Amino acid sequence: MRIARLSAAALLSAAGILAQPPGAPGGPPRAPQTARAAAPVDFTGYWVSPVMEDWRWRMVTPLKGDFASIPINRAAYDFGMAWDPAKDEAAGLQCKSYGAPAIMRVPGRVHMIWQDDNTLTIEADAGTQTRLLHFNSKAPSGEAPSWQGYSEANWERPVRGEGDPRNDFPPIFSTRTGARGKSLEVVTTHLRAGYLRKNGVPYSENTMMEEFYDYRTAPDGTPWFTVTTVVHDPKYLVVPFITSTDFKKRPDAAGWHPTPCSAR
Amino acid sequence: MRVILLLTAMLAWPAFGQVDFTGEWAPAYHEDGPERLPGPELGDYMGIPINDAARARADAYDADRISVVTEYECRPHSADYGMRGLGDLRVTREINPATQELIAFHTYMPAWGSVRTIWMDGRQHPPPYIEHTWQGFSTGVWDGNTLVITTTHLKANYFRRNGIDSSDQRTVTEYWTRHRDYFTVVTHVVDPVMLTEPLVRSQNWTLDPGQKTQRMFCEYQPEVPGAPGAVPNHLPGTNPFLHEVADWYGLPYEATRGGAQTIYPEYKLTMPKPDKAPPEKCERFCVCTVLQDCNLHAVPPR
Repeated sequence: MRIARLSAAALLSAAGILAQPPGAPGGPPRAPQTARAAAPVDFTGYWVSPVMEDWRWRMVTPLKGDFASIPINRAAYDFGMAWDPAKDEAAGLQCKSYGAPAIMRVPGRVHMIWQDDNTLTIEADAGTQTRLLHFNSKAPSGEAPSWQGYSEANWERPVRGEGDPRNDFPPIFSTRTGARGKSLEVVTTHLRAGYLRKNGVPYSENTMMEEFYDYRTAPDGTPWFTVTTVVHDPKYLVVPFITSTDFKKRPDAAGWHPTPCSAR
Repeated sequence: MRVILLLTAMLAWPAFGQVDFTGEWAPAYHEDGPERLPGPELGDYMGIPINDAARARADAYDADRISVVTEYECRPHSADYGMRGLGDLRVTREINPATQELIAFHTYMPAWGSVRTIWMDGRQHPPPYIEHTWQGFSTGVWDGNTLVITTTHLKANYFRRNGIDSSDQRTVTEYWTRHRDYFTVVTHVVDPVMLTEPLVRSQNWTLDPGQKTQRMFCEYQPEVPGAPGAVPNHLPGTNPFLHEVADWYGLPYEATRGGAQTIYPEYKLTMPKPDKAPPEKCERFCVCTVLQDCNLHAVPPR
């Protein structure tokens, strides 16, 4: 009898679970939301990155051959040792170190705004660059390579277990800790070859970049976010290049200082 | 039969990702590699919002201290610096067998055999007069998919192992996130004794199951002759090594002195020129990303 009751309860609970769309426990089916409406946190506004890591590789142009901390291979080493900023300037390639795999590490401020309901824009004052994060969209065929590439974005899917978080019943299935997703995930491709570091550490046109944006509130109430960046480039890296960059919210545009790209 | 089929269907629910920090993790030294592997250069205070007192204390530091003063020889890395410093990491969960509730996360780092507990059962931090330890007292709460950890009761330790010390009055807030097999730990340190604003750094790890975790032993040994009780130091204005890092890397000396004014992008607009002409190319730790490649003099990567 006990088993029968449990099975009946499981049946009811399962029926409830199976009736729900993933990510919307307890609610009736809903029309698809726009990315802006579905945003679990608000990344919009002005942000500054205090440079408390990699200072001498970010705040100044490092010496030729200073490739420390980047898991480069021999081909990248040789490429970097041939770095010639004058040559880049002559070729109009001053923005090679401002591409998507590098721009979030370049000291400066970023301004994040919704261009439309499914496109989040990241403007960077360093190099006057603009990134477009496309939700619910794939790169069009024939998309031309560019410094910022094509970025597909999505809100991290809520994590859930087989259990029903409304009543923890039946107890044979589990709910999960840390289960409410609130991160922004971005994958960027279609990149024009550029530099991971201003002194000529290369990434190739075959680079794929993953990013994870995590929002938080500091103990003093200030919003921050950290973007974890994973650069995959089998041509020049021996393992994925992983960095994480911290940004602090600013109340307004004070300090916003757009500058052109510089090769030096 | 229909119930069994339905239960089978439930168990076969599509696998969503889960926030599980347990396992063995390998650090990625893709930020500040030379500082975190062979160790920082003397006089390198870059990127740290230290106050004048912390700077004066760092200027007095003599690297012989770790060879002469036994209390420093085997000084462990604290909860916050350990995440920045050297070595692998293992995270385990402690579950109450009666209630199946999560009691704590435990971390083990082979470096100095550091064991840490992060209490998840809602207990309060002890009163201020309770003993301070290297790993402090940590409690965690979930904020969505982020584990927010508050650590108090820490002993004084390092912000950087070249004399920039942290005080025992600091409070550390950590934000742990996992995305796929990448683990990121943001460390937000408020130290009213040494800093003028919070020190915020983030460290990355990759899942590395199957690590053959090592044990580390540290023996106190007199490595450099010194008078009993002597603490190697430099009196104010006498440290001859402070300009080295600026000269070796072609940097303005002022920038190497750290402080909050130097960590914001606008400092680039007022940063002075280097005091000496920069070297033509990198000459020190130029490809330092993993310990085996952290030779003093540059060689191409293996």
